[in-house]
Amino acid sequence: MLRKGITCLSLALVSALTIGPALAEEKAPAPAAPAAAQPKPTVAKVCANCHQPQPGSMRGNFDSVAYKTQSIQIKIDDATEILRFDENLKIENLHQVAAEIAEQPLRALKKGKEVRIEYTEKDGKKFASALIAKPPIKIAPEKQVRTEDVEKLVAMGPEKGKYLLIDARPLPRFQDGSIATAVNIPFPAFDKMKDKLPADKASLIVYYCAGIT
Amino acid sequence: MSPDSAGKAEKLGYTNVKVYHDGVPEWVKRNYLVLSTQFLKEAWIDKDIPHVLVDVRPAKAAEAGFIKGAVTVPAAEIEKSLAKFPAKDKKAPIMVYDQKGEGDAVKAAKALIAAGYAPVDVVSGGFESWKAAGYPVMTGKLAENIVYVPKPRPGEIAIDEFKKIMASTPADTLILDVRNRDEGNAGMIKGALLVPDEEILDRFAEIPKDKKIVTHCSTGVRAEMAYHKLKEKGYNVSFLNAKVEIDKDGNAKIEKP
Repeated sequence: MLRKGITCLSLALVSALTIGPALAEEKAPAPAAPAAAQPKPTVAKVCANCHQPQPGSMRGNFDSVAYKTQSIQIKIDDATEILRFDENLKIENLHQVAAEIAEQPLRALKKGKEVRIEYTEKDGKKFASALIAKPPIKIAPEKQVRTEDVEKLVAMGPEKGKYLLIDARPLPRFQDGSIATAVNIPFPAFDKMKDKLPADKASLIVYYCAGIT
Repeated sequence: MSPDSAGKAEKLGYTNVKVYHDGVPEWVKRNYLVLSTQFLKEAWIDKDIPHVLVDVRPAKAAEAGFIKGAVTVPAAEIEKSLAKFPAKDKKAPIMVYDQKGEGDAVKAAKALIAAGYAPVDVVSGGFESWKAAGYPVMTGKLAENIVYVPKPRPGEIAIDEFKKIMASTPADTLILDVRNRDEGNAGMIKGALLVPDEEILDRFAEIPKDKKIVTHCSTGVRAEMAYHKLKEKGYNVSFLNAKVEIDKDGNAKIEKP
């Protein structure tokens, strides 16, 4: 059931994320202005862990939608892309669209949601033909723990509770605050930080991140 | 990311790997997070990221030494001081600390969470840990009022500044109304140029390059999209991120969305 991780294996190594005190610097400031010669990225770094660029497709974080002008704004790292769309836009994996916005389903998308957009480009204008929201990753129920379970473990502490709680988010998010007793092993740095895992392969490891995305 | 990591751990032979799938967003509804003094300094204070830092020690103790930017709300008074805190929907990150990062900070954090605030962080080790790390210590009176101003989005113009431009537009500035024609016909700001957002890419020639452009629409959404289009073309541009209603005489009502 956890097969998803395997596809990301080789790409994870390429990630720009490094670990250690040096990372406290976070990333270098964004270039002052997008140079015209430099093509904009089509895949956000967070998506590039598992996905490669493909022509006619971009991956990033949904930012906003304007139905009045039929435009979608998405963020690809620091860059912003704006695409037009029309009533033929195919929308996939959108759940829980409230009745009052049924006519404008993209309003149900949360800002920051990971999306893939299929598009065509003509005269420098991008036109979206499909928007596919990232589906939730399925995890077998027996491999899931709930807030109550984590609360119990944290109350006991790692020694008594015999667990290792791992925060798989990137360091800048971990620095925002983390669950008590957690250690930060960002997913892209998994291989580099293998030595942080317990020697005993039967011991309990609990992973968490920013939730169902 | 956590399911992916768990998958890799299993590949390494770990047999008892679990995933807390609800993760941080659920956790913070019922529990506090922890934050080291190093992260508080490096990721928040040094970078000037907006947050609310609360010193929950008795005011007298806090005055002898506190962390820069802290506001005093003694733990015993948290519950009756809730009105001081930013509105919950602002989701302001709140960090509380006490002397050692134990009882009072945790108690205060729990009170805030029970009142519906999230995320709330407890600073690990409290003030003593901050001091032990050799970080700068302030003394004297602490601020009593919480000021939390979320960072504007890139390109955003302050509402007051926009109002000034609206009242008297400098010769080097142009207000660009990017709403559609019907909206424009119903009333426009005096001196503004109407180029609906969806037409901008075809009508760059009409938008002067030698002026500062300020875009607005009725909510801020299209104005921001227009901002990015113009920015990419090398314009000196900013946008108004606010709700705008304009009557037929050009009087505008502007408020934060």
